[in-house]
Amino acid sequence: MSLTFALSSALSGLSATSRQAEVLSSNVANAATPGYARREVGLRSAEIAGVGQGVAVTNILRDVDRQLLAERRLAQSGDGDRALRAGFMTRVEQAMGTPDSTGSLAARLAAFDQALVEGAGRPESQARLQGILNTAGALASGLASASAEIQTARSTADRQIAAEVDKLNSTLARLQEMNGELRSFSSSGRDVSAFLDERQRLIDDIATIIPLREIPRDLNQIALFTKGGAMLLEGSAAVFGFSPTNTVTPEMTQALGGLSGITINGEAYDTAGSASPILGGTLGGLFALRDELAVTAQGKLDATARDLVERFSAAGLDPTLAPGAAGLFTDAGAAFQPGDEIGLAARLRVNPAADPAQGGALYRLRDGLGATSEGPPGNGTVLSALHGALTNPQPLTSTGFTAGVRSFAALIGDLMSDGSSHRLAAEADQSFAAARLTSLSDLEAANGIDTDQEMQALLVIEKNYAANAKVIQTVEEMIDILIRIGA
Amino acid sequence: MTRISLGDASMTNILARQGAALRGQVQDASIEVTTGQHIDLPKALRGDVSPLLAIDATLTRLAAFKTTAADAALHTAAQQAALTGLSSLANGITTTLLGSRDFPTPAQVDAVAAYARGRLESAVGLLNAQVGGRAVFSGTATSTVPLGTSEDMLTALETAATGATTAGQVAAAVVGWFADPAGYGAFYQGGASLTAAPIGPGDTADLSTTALDPAIRDSLQGFALAALLDRGVLSGNAEERGRLAQRAGQELLTGEDARITLAARIGTVEGKIEAARTRNAAEETSLGILRSDLGSVDPYEAATRLETARAQLESLYLVTARVARLSLTEYLR
Repeated sequence: MSLTFALSSALSGLSATSRQAEVLSSNVANAATPGYARREVGLRSAEIAGVGQGVAVTNILRDVDRQLLAERRLAQSGDGDRALRAGFMTRVEQAMGTPDSTGSLAARLAAFDQALVEGAGRPESQARLQGILNTAGALASGLASASAEIQTARSTADRQIAAEVDKLNSTLARLQEMNGELRSFSSSGRDVSAFLDERQRLIDDIATIIPLREIPRDLNQIALFTKGGAMLLEGSAAVFGFSPTNTVTPEMTQALGGLSGITINGEAYDTAGSASPILGGTLGGLFALRDELAVTAQGKLDATARDLVERFSAAGLDPTLAPGAAGLFTDAGAAFQPGDEIGLAARLRVNPAADPAQGGALYRLRDGLGATSEGPPGNGTVLSALHGALTNPQPLTSTGFTAGVRSFAALIGDLMSDGSSHRLAAEADQSFAAARLTSLSDLEAANGIDTDQEMQALLVIEKNYAANAKVIQTVEEMIDILIRIGA
Repeated sequence: MTRISLGDASMTNILARQGAALRGQVQDASIEVTTGQHIDLPKALRGDVSPLLAIDATLTRLAAFKTTAADAALHTAAQQAALTGLSSLANGITTTLLGSRDFPTPAQVDAVAAYARGRLESAVGLLNAQVGGRAVFSGTATSTVPLGTSEDMLTALETAATGATTAGQVAAAVVGWFADPAGYGAFYQGGASLTAAPIGPGDTADLSTTALDPAIRDSLQGFALAALLDRGVLSGNAEERGRLAQRAGQELLTGEDARITLAARIGTVEGKIEAARTRNAAEETSLGILRSDLGSVDPYEAATRLETARAQLESLYLVTARVARLSLTEYLR
């Protein structure tokens, strides 16, 4: 009977609009929730035996732009990688100092140079000899602390790799569980939107670590691969392996031993180069920092330290020294051996023979480090020669820099310029990556909840609800009329 | 489906980001205006900090040369003062000594001899002068005075002249002692000549004059010849004593040229030091200007930037306030 049909149609309209109001309220409530995708109620006209029977809710649509999401995740990992590199380069630059900082290597060198000139002008002055010793010590400790900063960054990177690997493993395990839960809920036809939101949030979390590709499978399942092609989740989750090292020293590298590489499901993979499947995110960035950037930066410091040591231990500079003996700057107190260049900057010390605090004597700066007794106090020959050794252009023995003939000040200038230009280049790279991430995030945000639109929809829902209610009221009146006729 | 909505977060994000960027610009520009320094100096130099470091290093070294040039100037000034003193000591006595053979009485020779002995003591005192703890005629042995006392010198000379009976023999013995490395050479307590002191970039001052310089030696010799008379040399022989006094006068007279030449040589070094100091000061000034050109912010440009950023930030605040009120919810009440 058509009146009953009308009543049930109106009722279905009421329940559909209630459902719409419910979903809308969820949208409004989550307007500021990260990772929340807008829902929409899917409707169709209900029919029984070819006759219109009102409206039916088909499903809850989750409004996600998959293409944009994938792009944003790649941008996110790129940004993470670039930000790490830029951060490290800034750290290196700060460790060496900039022209406007008082403790920079160049400022320390200038002070040492000044002390040598003043000492040569008045060699009998105890205060000036002390000044030479102090500034030489400050120069050595400047190189040593820059080196320590770099090694600290390597240690930190090593620990961070371990933390990221832990996070990857736990998140992948959780994603594997969610895949299972989603399979059972989806096949029973329940609303899984909240699950999907949560899964998206988890993947976003690890997308910074490794660039990911998400491949949808039936029943709301997904598979995850790295951009480099390694399988992360396909039915079961991959397990990453990494063993952290407590203290990283300049001599340790992944190739020479001492530092761990990465394994996936027990199998070792490259952490650099085109064959590595994990590059592009913070994990690859951390490996690059630990194994390449920091090693290169340390190499340049060591080359500089070696040049300093060799300038002051050159044959004939100090007639009191035996050939091959340690000069004013030493490798941890001993003479430098050409095979020991790695980590020299960290071990650089002033010769203890000149340091009263270590049983030496200041006069040895003036009379020669091998002098056994104090000579004439006005003798400035050795001090002038030391200043000459510092300023004379000399070829570089180490391969850390382009070959060429430089004064030590020019070498320090090259070292600091190198640090600054690398930092600026890394920052430029990072700002490109950050801009890309920002624009994609803006696009995502533009697709997010628009409360104005929701309010507009609410007006429509309100109107539809009132209309359906009016239909019920009218049908009731019509039925009443029929009943009164019968009475 | 064509999108007709724009998420709330979109506008919020954009406004927040622009606000942060503008506030950063305002902060940077205001620091640059107040300090005159670049916020990011290496960036302003496009990563090549070498030229600026070279300027800084030269400025620091010039400060060192300022100290060493002042030291060298003090050293030469002290030497010059001692030489002037030596000349005036000699000049005051030369004429008297030259006329000593015509003195009516031997007592006058005795008087001028006593006078010369006092002058010798003064001369040794002048040469032993220390400036700032540094004996300026001692060469590298700056902590030791170059000469012993004048009495020790006279005693040594008396020994050398033992048995001499004529003025000529005494004079020969004295000249021989002063020329002898084991005589005056051993009496000199100082060291080898000082090495040249650095006074400017690639510029050194020659501080090599010691008490062994012939001009100084000859002057001391002149004083010593006359002073020996006061110690009783050739006593009783008035004729020879007068002759020796005259010989002393001749020595001092001929030594005058050498003293003037030495004073002129030290004067040349003083001139060189002064020229180096002027040059250093000029270089310091010009490098200082270059340093500001390279390393400092143009205050006008920074102030303009600050003003622009401020105006933009104010506009952004206005827009934020207006946009925040644009909500359908407000109108549905």
